[in-house]
Amino acid sequence: MDDHFIEMRSLIKVYPPDTLALDQVDLTIKEGEIHSLIGENGAGKSTLMKVLYGMISASSGEISFRGRRVRYASPREAVAAGIGMVHQEFMLVPSYTIYENVILGAEPVGRLGALRNADARRRVQSLVDRYGLSLNIDDRVCDTSVGAQQKVEILKLLYRDVDVLIMDEPTAVLTPQETGELFRRLRDLNAAGKTIIFISHKLDEVLELSDTITVMRRGRRVATWENRGLGKADLARAMVGRDVVFSVDKPPAYCGDVVFEARDLSYVDAGGRRRLDGVSFEVRRGEIVGIAGVEGNGQLELVQLITGLGPIQSGQVKICGRDVTRVPVIERRKLMCYVPQDRKASGSAQNMSLADNAVMTHHRLNPRLESRWKALLSPARCRRFAQNLVETFGVLTPNVDTPISSLSGGNQQKVVVGREFLFSADFVLLDQPTRGVDVGSVEFIQREIIRKRDSAGDVTADVGAGEGAVAAGAGCLLISADLDELFSLADRILVMHRGQVVADLVPRDTTREEVGEYMLGVRESQSERRPRAQAASASALGPAGEGACVK
Amino acid sequence: MSKNALTALAGIGVALLAGLVILWAQGYPAVPSYAALFSYSLFSKFAIVSTLNKATPLILTGLSAAVGFGSNCVNLGQPGQFLIGAMAVAAFGIVCDLPAPVMIPLAIMVALAAGALWAGIAAGLRRRFNMDEFITTLMLNFIADYFTLYLISGPMWDRATYSPMTKATNPGSWLPMWDGLSAAFVVSCVAFVVTWVIWDRSKLGYEWRVMGQNSVFSRVGGCNNEANFTRAMLLSGALAGLAGGMMVMGGMQHRFVKGMGANYAWDGVMIAIVAANGMVPTGLYALFFAAIQTGAMGMELETAVPSEFALVLQAIIVLFVVASRESTRLLINRLAANLRARAAAGAEQDISKGGGRDASGR
Repeated sequence: MDDHFIEMRSLIKVYPPDTLALDQVDLTIKEGEIHSLIGENGAGKSTLMKVLYGMISASSGEISFRGRRVRYASPREAVAAGIGMVHQEFMLVPSYTIYENVILGAEPVGRLGALRNADARRRVQSLVDRYGLSLNIDDRVCDTSVGAQQKVEILKLLYRDVDVLIMDEPTAVLTPQETGELFRRLRDLNAAGKTIIFISHKLDEVLELSDTITVMRRGRRVATWENRGLGKADLARAMVGRDVVFSVDKPPAYCGDVVFEARDLSYVDAGGRRRLDGVSFEVRRGEIVGIAGVEGNGQLELVQLITGLGPIQSGQVKICGRDVTRVPVIERRKLMCYVPQDRKASGSAQNMSLADNAVMTHHRLNPRLESRWKALLSPARCRRFAQNLVETFGVLTPNVDTPISSLSGGNQQKVVVGREFLFSADFVLLDQPTRGVDVGSVEFIQREIIRKRDSAGDVTADVGAGEGAVAAGAGCLLISADLDELFSLADRILVMHRGQVVADLVPRDTTREEVGEYMLGVRESQSERRPRAQAASASALGPAGEGACVK
Repeated sequence: MSKNALTALAGIGVALLAGLVILWAQGYPAVPSYAALFSYSLFSKFAIVSTLNKATPLILTGLSAAVGFGSNCVNLGQPGQFLIGAMAVAAFGIVCDLPAPVMIPLAIMVALAAGALWAGIAAGLRRRFNMDEFITTLMLNFIADYFTLYLISGPMWDRATYSPMTKATNPGSWLPMWDGLSAAFVVSCVAFVVTWVIWDRSKLGYEWRVMGQNSVFSRVGGCNNEANFTRAMLLSGALAGLAGGMMVMGGMQHRFVKGMGANYAWDGVMIAIVAANGMVPTGLYALFFAAIQTGAMGMELETAVPSEFALVLQAIIVLFVVASRESTRLLINRLAANLRARAAAGAEQDISKGGGRDASGR
């Protein structure tokens, strides 16, 4: 085995104009090891690997692979040389099927350039079966969920036999079981002599999987350790340069009246598939209800029906006692805060200024942003509003006029969360509020969510547990692919599987594994054991629901 | 903001230089030609008045395109909306005969309404049948073109003339002139201010701008994208219609003449693109392009350079400004990045070497 299989020396990468993404990085990767790169978002892990993979060119420094100096001009060259990468951002053709995406660029071509689909299909299908990826390879990618698309990316790499696999946060959307399966497969590949570079910011995964761990922080390699006797705290300290509190401090929930009610929601998509099947649950003031589930099991549709982006075909949604089933988006927004899943696609206009992004929806609901005429907005007041948001939520930005695209992911998300939390609504819908956000921002946002739970009205007010908080708290519905997040934040966890709520669990009485089994449908649904009529209310008012709240 | 202005100025400067080289390469006296170009567009009272009159329709069609494109409504129907606006005003001016203080505002309303109606057809088709406004507005141009041609060569043809045109409108609809400057310019300035306020200051304009950047975001935020699309289309059409109306109400002819649309509408589209859909830049570029077009006429008188050179110059300016907007930013950023990388590499030489910062093992 080659101890200097991949060597990177003094790599510097400056993203124009002056973002120093890699600062003199030296890194050696041994042949046949599983080497993890860990660090916060923006620490340079992905950039480092993209340089290796030929996606971006370094400003200076050199790389050698198998003892020879290399500089790949494109990923194609890197793949040909035996280095492959699964990206964080998906690189798929949305209108192609999963199968077509997998073979794209590596098509099995027979004589006269004809596609030899039969063999390749069998191979792709067998890979799908083997890893339990639960993909229909003839589905078009644009019809699949974010989670499924991530799996297609992994499948693409599994289809190409490369010697070095770079996995850029591949487990972000997998269940514990699927993650375990992926890890087993990675270990198999590793045992077969493949070198694996695993990028993550999940400490448990890194500790479980790797032989060697490199910690990066702000473009520098902070440390490289062999994975022997290391603990989470060691890694975390190196990652953020300080001690991190892992469990979010959370006072017990004081449940009040019902602020959100979904009754028998069903939704059949254009393709005739039943995406939601009789979903009913309630959220009470002062509690955080988490929704767990593998992506693509109805969460997307649930959010769309609640926010009014999709038409409600059958069933009913009530927010704060008001039936909003047939009510337009803006009317619902008066009653709820909504942090959307994808801040770039639906949570912001990237080319517009921070201030312009901050006043969205407020511009209709907050009369204090108006100028003398009601139809006009006052630029000064909008900027002051944005300035207040920046200060309250600790957004790092030179000023409120900078385009939001120039902020880091975590700061962008703080703007989005801040904007929504500045509404004084009693119901909060959080769709993956901390996805793709650095550790520091995750901690901050999670704290804000708990504050919101305990005091809906004014986020700047001091939060005290007790009677005062009971009256003021908001009901939160938290949809997350991250079980750790659900377990640390939620007071109840509902599990969705194939469009149904199959379980209603209390975090302290359950385990990640149990939730994972419900997510995968391994366990029978709680509600199916009961008569159908009861099932509707069971998920909301079952013993678990009551048990989560302190009376 | 000022950075953008600088890049734009740099682009214009380089474009003018390139025009100079082209003139020189063609064997024309380059410098005297430019001198003529600007003296006939800027350096006399008559020149400035001509430029402002020329700018009147360009400001309006430019605003029309900017409002459309900036809201993500691909309204390419300015030529049709322009003609329909002009025809409506001509018809109104022939049929009605009222005193000017009443008739002028009414005629302006007619122009706005006619243009809005023509764009509204496309908006309605989009909302009812999900037809792409990009296609329908273009197709409506042909309909407007041939429909007005039919009117001026048939039912509305003024038999006293030998070429297709309508009768002159009643004098009540004529806009006053002051020393050659038509009040149409004032009307376009008012339209500019109103559009600017709507676009940059109103809630509606904010929603349009967000819709232009990310329509999903505006929808999630509670904006009614469908209604906003229609509203933006209507305003865009109304502005183009007003441009047409001004051609009938201002100027000298006071009637709908064949070919009166000229290239005003497409120039407006070009101006909006160069101005990146900003309202103030659109106004400035409209003035600038008007100056070039006016000056080119003078240049033709003074030197042998044909006035079509204005088209060449405009095209070069569009290319250079649009290209420089992106490329100078990239270039400057890349230069800055290289400097930074060199600095980072230099710093390393000084500090470490044997420094235990990157400890392997603990």
